[in-house]
Amino acid sequence: MDTLSKLQILSGAARYDASCSSSGSKREGPVCGIGNTSSSGICHSWSDDGRCISLLKILLSNDCRYDCAYCVNRSSTAVERASFTAREVVDLTLDFYRRNYIEGLFLSSAVMVSPDHTMERMVSVAETLRTEEQFGGYIHMKIIPGSSSELVRKAGLYADRISVNIELPSQASLQRLAPQKHKDAILAPMTMIGREIASSVVERKANRHAPRFAPAGQSTQMIIGASPETDFQILRLSQGLYKKMNLKRVYYSAYVPVSNDSRLPVLAGPPLLREHRLYQADWLLRFYGFSAEEILSDDAPNLDESFDPKSAWALRHPEFFPVEINRADYGTLLRVPGIGVTSAKRIIAARRFSAITPEGMKKIGVVMKRAKYFITCSGRSFEKSDRPAALLRQQLLLGASSEPTLSTQLVLPGIFS
Amino acid sequence: MNRYLYDGTADGLLSAIAWILEEEPDPEQVALAERKDTLFEDGFFIGTDATQAEALFFRLRKQAPDAAHTLYSFMLAEKEGMESSLLHFLSLAFIHGDKVNGHLTHPAVRDIVGVSKKAGRELHRLKGLLRFEKLQDGAYLAKMEPDHNIIHPLAYHFSRRLRAQHWFLYDVRRRTAARWNQGSLQFGTIEQFTAPALSADEKKVQALWQAFFKTIAIPDRKNPRLQKSNMPMKYWKYLTEKQGE
Ligand code: SF4
Repeated sequence: MDTLSKLQILSGAARYDASCSSSGSKREGPVCGIGNTSSSGICHSWSDDGRCISLLKILLSNDCRYDCAYCVNRSSTAVERASFTAREVVDLTLDFYRRNYIEGLFLSSAVMVSPDHTMERMVSVAETLRTEEQFGGYIHMKIIPGSSSELVRKAGLYADRISVNIELPSQASLQRLAPQKHKDAILAPMTMIGREIASSVVERKANRHAPRFAPAGQSTQMIIGASPETDFQILRLSQGLYKKMNLKRVYYSAYVPVSNDSRLPVLAGPPLLREHRLYQADWLLRFYGFSAEEILSDDAPNLDESFDPKSAWALRHPEFFPVEINRADYGTLLRVPGIGVTSAKRIIAARRFSAITPEGMKKIGVVMKRAKYFITCSGRSFEKSDRPAALLRQQLLLGASSEPTLSTQLVLPGIFS
Repeated sequence: MNRYLYDGTADGLLSAIAWILEEEPDPEQVALAERKDTLFEDGFFIGTDATQAEALFFRLRKQAPDAAHTLYSFMLAEKEGMESSLLHFLSLAFIHGDKVNGHLTHPAVRDIVGVSKKAGRELHRLKGLLRFEKLQDGAYLAKMEPDHNIIHPLAYHFSRRLRAQHWFLYDVRRRTAARWNQGSLQFGTIEQFTAPALSADEKKVQALWQAFFKTIAIPDRKNPRLQKSNMPMKYWKYLTEKQGE
């Protein structure tokens, strides 16, 4: 099979992987080699679904021994199988990088023969790129659950980011839908990676030349909507991963119905809105100082369809508002629906010079559509704040409905973070 | 209100501003414009002094590095008719330091910061969207038609990235070029551009990239509007993956 046909099969098989971030790592390239990475990440193109392309995202092979119910590559389906040689992946990466198509390589794989057999080949791609070809661009590698800790360690030394997919939000679901994968085989490498990253940071403080271990950190991904967990369960899981395992990102991937296996729910299409809401809630966990328990509860365990999670929180907490723009601290400003990190920073920068007036808010570029219901400027309010909650909900919805909601739905927030 | 004129060059602009900041008690009440060669132009002409211009920039970089960055990006935009705004912005920058960038309720600050942000955005975009083609002699060439004059910072970016490669950037509209070869970066103009021959395997690599670009999109999620808003059509002309669309 020629490289072109393999590329078509093996990039098609990788496209459901959500993470395409190339940020978080800053490396000067070797003088005689090619490539560096930049800490803010760069998008090189946007595919027909509007997603950022920054890495050559492919599987080394789709020839899988396992049979996970939700996966297009499971052993029991009849899809065309292909496997790259390590050299083919190295050449593709270099040819693309030299023409500025990509920031680097995102390499994942189905389980060929055994986890170690697969992981060994993946590591050899990274090793060749780094040592033989002096490649300084970005490398993100997936860890195959069940591979030896020696290989995981090697992967971390060559890659900028490594990730182990958690796949499903609970052990029960994992057992039901991916019987050959075990929770321990997933959590053990995650824990080890977390430890290695932390100790490499410490060592490098003492010695500049100590080796770097996955400098862009580790991330994970789970499939949403293939199993019965609530959003509350999912968010608490993510919160734990951020806090205890020090993960950089958790990616959520809406389940795309691929089979009529009776263990899977029947869906009309992938639950995109739910995925979008989870990303918004995740954003609140990471950057806005919210906890999972503030966003959801056992009584209301799922995210609102019509409101973003921050507006939903604001509507449940009228006692918090209105917020006075000229006095509130950064954390408080961030709780106002419609005010994000950029707006909050601008408000704080602008009010150093003089109190901000309502016109001033527009001038500095704060979008008032939603914010106006929740703030005052030097005591002046924009809207009557004694509105009953039901009316406010309606106002917000009407205000929001004129926005092109669909167009923002598939943007994965944080690609530029 | 006093009105001053300068010769229309970047050095002229900065040296005029340096002069006004030095001599005028309240620069915010002063207007500055380019001298057009009409007979009855109203205003006092300030001659160009490149050392003054440079001194102004270095002084700013020391006192307010972020504002100096704003000034640098603003100059990439080659905007006409905003001289007075720039003067007022710089006068505030020397009073308030870097905080000035946040003074967005001030019209001059908002204009200057706005223009400089746009230039910065295009620079960042082209770091991703620029496409090199391999030529017969093994060198690489990338063509572009950016709105802003960003060839310098862009070439610097690629000099850190594609170090072992011999490459050219060519701004088709401005006819300016950058060349990186064995560790040295040069700039110049190209009056007569003739398209050089491509290397034998170039089309094959392009076909691989085009195939990847097609397959990586999720068919159920087609969203041309989002694609265009992230990657405006004006950049498609030189995008390998968008040829023949
Ligand atoms: S191991 Fe991975 S590739 Fe194989 S069936 Fe499971 S999810 Fe799919």
